[in-house]
Order: sequence, then structure tokens, then C-alpha cells
Amino acid sequence: MDIDLNQVSFIFFLVFAGIVVGASLAVILHKNPVVSAASLVLAFFGLAGVYAIMNAIFIATMQVLVYAGAIMVLVIFVVMLLSLREETHLEIWKNPLKQAMIVLFVLVFLGIIISAVNYSSDIPKLPPQNGTSQPDYAYNLGQKEGLPLVAKGNTATVGAATFLEYLLPFELVSVLLLAAVIGAVVIAKRDKLRNL
Amino acid sequence: MNLISGIPVPYYLSLAGIMFTIGMFGVLLRRNAVVIFMSVELMLNAVNLVFITFSKSTAQVGGEVIVFFVMAIAAAEAAIGLAIVIAIHRQKKTVHVDEMNLLKW
Repeated sequence: MDIDLNQVSFIFFLVFAGIVVGASLAVILHKNPVVSAASLVLAFFGLAGVYAIMNAIFIATMQVLVYAGAIMVLVIFVVMLLSLREETHLEIWKNPLKQAMIVLFVLVFLGIIISAVNYSSDIPKLPPQNGTSQPDYAYNLGQKEGLPLVAKGNTATVGAATFLEYLLPFELVSVLLLAAVIGAVVIAKRDKLRNL
Repeated sequence: MNLISGIPVPYYLSLAGIMFTIGMFGVLLRRNAVVIFMSVELMLNAVNLVFITFSKSTAQVGGEVIVFFVMAIAAAEAAIGLAIVIAIHRQKKTVHVDEMNLLKW
């Protein structure tokens, strides 16, 4: 393993990964759903930090806007609306056999992960699809007046790929969102005929 | 060993694996429908991290576009799932999944 432990990005990665894992554990272990929701926001922010370390700026921004913003507002709104109380019991901790199974699973899982980190082989590096072999990828848009037109930078590249290569999925996602909005309204509204 | 910003690829994949497993245990252990929903979101985020990792390590932009789509679908799922939770709460006055046994024979 030839990594420089003093490298700044590695320290930041450890900090953000620690935030993600700790907050995720708090989500599933804390009894109060409001605390779980707050921990989930923290986990999403930590993951946005990991994306930023990977130089995926556009996705990091979307992570904060969509997940830590929109989706979590919806979740916290529902938690408040239903006034959820603390769960009285997490039954799994009462049974010693189940406890032993979980501890065993965690140990085996961590062992697999550590061995995967230590003995993994290289992933073959594919040639860039439509762009140049720069560290931050680029997207070749075509020619303009004889000169190659290239989208550079993370956001421009992702945008060009979305609207040129993945246009049909993009439009299908917009239809899906419309269907989801209508469906959510229909499901959540009070049935006036039956509940009079 | 492939590096992304000086960090080996397996580190990112391990983080994603740990996060996915935590989410899976949340779904299996918790009985509150809203907390189960949050655990599903954790699993979706772990998969997003894998997409970004391979997108960066193979220098293909497609993975980031798919993560963008996954986020849109997660938003749709959040709207529908929470609407279902509200509808169930209106009917049964609980979001405890053990008490939702109407379809159980």
C-alpha cells in the first residue's frame, strides 16, 4: 500500500468517512426518529464531502441540494406530522443468540473489507469515451469552424453527457417525477366519500 | 492501485460497502416505517458512491449522469413512500410495520 498518510486529501477522506459511518450508525441505532433524521442529514453532508474530494463537484452540490435539502425536509415534515415517539424497544438486543450472530457478521464483514482493501487488483483503465485523457474528464461536443469543441470541467462535462448521450432517460425521469407527484397527492389526500 | 485524488479506489468501495450494510441492518432491525425509509436512503447513497467511484476510476462520465438520475428517482420514491406512510397512519394510527398485517394469512 503506497499511500502517503500525511496527504491532506487522505486526512479529509478519513474525517468525512468517519462522519458518514458514525452518522449512519446513529440513524439505525437511535430510538428517536427525529434524531435519526438529523443524523441522516449529517451522513449526507459527509458523503457530499467525499464526492468533493473525488472532484465530483456537480454531484456533491446535488447531494446537498436534493438529499440534505429537499428529501430530508420531506422526511422531517412527516416525522413532525405523525408526532412519532421513541420506539420502546429494539427487540434484537434482548436475545443473546441474535447478538452473537450480529457480532459475528460484523467481524466477518470487516475482515472481508480489510482483505479486499489489501489484496485488490487494478481496475483496467478504459480509454475516455468521447473526450481527452485528462484527470478531470472532458466531453467532445464536435467541431465548430474546424476547431474541436470540448466541454471542460466537471459540471460542463456531466451536463453535456446528460443532454447529448442520456437525453431519452432524462426525459423519462421527468415523466416519472410527474407521475410520482400526482401519485403522492392522490395517495395522501383524504378520501372525502368514505371519511365523511 | 488506482488512485482518485490520492486515495486508493478500494477505500471508497469499502466506505460504500459499510454504508450499504448499515442501511440493510436498519431495514431489518427497525420497526418504524419512517426509519426503514431512511435506511433505504442510506443504501441508495452507498450505491451512488460506487457509481461515482467507478466513473472516476475509469474516466467515464456516464456514472455521474446515472447518479443524477438515481437522485431524481430517490426524490420520487420519497414523495410516494411518505404519502403511503401518511395514508397508513390515517387508517391504523401507527407506523409500526409489525402491526401492518392486513395481507398476512
